[in-house]
Amino acid sequence: MSEAGRREVRAGLEPLLARLWRYALVLTRARDAADDLVQAACVRAIERADQFTPGTRLDRWMFAILRSIWLNEIRSRRIREGGGFVDAEDALTTDGAHDIEVNMTASAVLKEIGRLPEAQRETILLVYAEGYSYAEAAATLGIPIGTVMSRLAAGRAALAKLK
Amino acid sequence: MFDDDAELVALIDNELDESSRAALMARLAADEGLRERYEALRRTSAPIGAAFDALIAQAPLARLAAALPADEPLRQPPRRFALRALAAGVAIGILAAGAAAWAALSFGLIGPRDDWRSAVAEYVDLYTSETFSPMHPDAVLQAAEIGAVGAKVGAKLTPESIGLPGLRFAAAFMLSYEGSPLGVIAYVDPAGAPVLFCILAKPAPDAAVRSEQRGDLAIASWSRAGRRHLVIGRIPKEQAASLAQILEKRV
Repeated sequence: MSEAGRREVRAGLEPLLARLWRYALVLTRARDAADDLVQAACVRAIERADQFTPGTRLDRWMFAILRSIWLNEIRSRRIREGGGFVDAEDALTTDGAHDIEVNMTASAVLKEIGRLPEAQRETILLVYAEGYSYAEAAATLGIPIGTVMSRLAAGRAALAKLK
Repeated sequence: MFDDDAELVALIDNELDESSRAALMARLAADEGLRERYEALRRTSAPIGAAFDALIAQAPLARLAAALPADEPLRQPPRRFALRALAAGVAIGILAAGAAAWAALSFGLIGPRDDWRSAVAEYVDLYTSETFSPMHPDAVLQAAEIGAVGAKVGAKLTPESIGLPGLRFAAAFMLSYEGSPLGVIAYVDPAGAPVLFCILAKPAPDAAVRSEQRGDLAIASWSRAGRRHLVIGRIPKEQAASLAQILEKRV
């Protein structure tokens, strides 16, 4: 049991909340579900904090927990209940109005990302928002690097059609 | 999406190995259509980054932070249990309503175990010298709390009958163990350390006082009049036994 690991998890969770939420939103495409998913991941992380190796990347560890909960517990339940998968066009969007031009672009891009299949959305987030290398993304997602490449290319191709 | 898109994107992302990169660069130099496609894909980089940045700015941070678990429970259910028990005790200590609260707690939360003494020991282990020492109920409240707990477990309890030498009464409250009412009388010693007298309204054959040690907790337990009793605290085993002898005669 690692007391140092527990302390590191405890102290490190809060600064990660925004990024965890963004990942959760990209996966779930629903804000209420994203909130729940982040909360569940934090509870799980604290329960298992002694499994965290101090000095390793807490963000990656948290992402893996969040992804596992999504895949194994929440996604299937939401499908079963027939809820959650609302119109993707409205799920990813911006709500700020302080910079119209930037937000229009961001809004259009997010809308397009929201239309992509989950596998593409997730890969794009990990590589372009979170800075995973192709190899890291492949290992995290359990897929060949070639699949990472084709998912990113498909996403970019869809976005390239905008404007 | 075109055949070369994956390679072009990998080039943009600086993920191509040297030979693939050299080969693609040579093709780009010779193929204007390929160069246009490269440019079209490359132009998506900045908007993707900006879009994800915009999402970060929308995260409901206050709500998420508020939902973070309050502490770092080693074993969460017992911790939650203990905190709720403590809250009940504090409520009793602070509210002058006169009626003892019925804390609808269940030991079932902490899973199966060999016996109720283990269950009690498990959460007493979480109490500190600060748990009960702030509680100073006045005489009227004391009598009301103690009497109410007695009524729930079927024993006639008064401040006099549960008074113990060297210990100050701090709180009386109800728990439950596997559906049976469990009354708790909490005392503190001069240093604030908690000592508990627990009464479980669950029949058992009469048994004389028996002492045991669990970690730094001493337990003295006995059964009488269709109820099970124990005294528990971080006190010498002999002291727990002698406190139990006193209570056995009075309760």
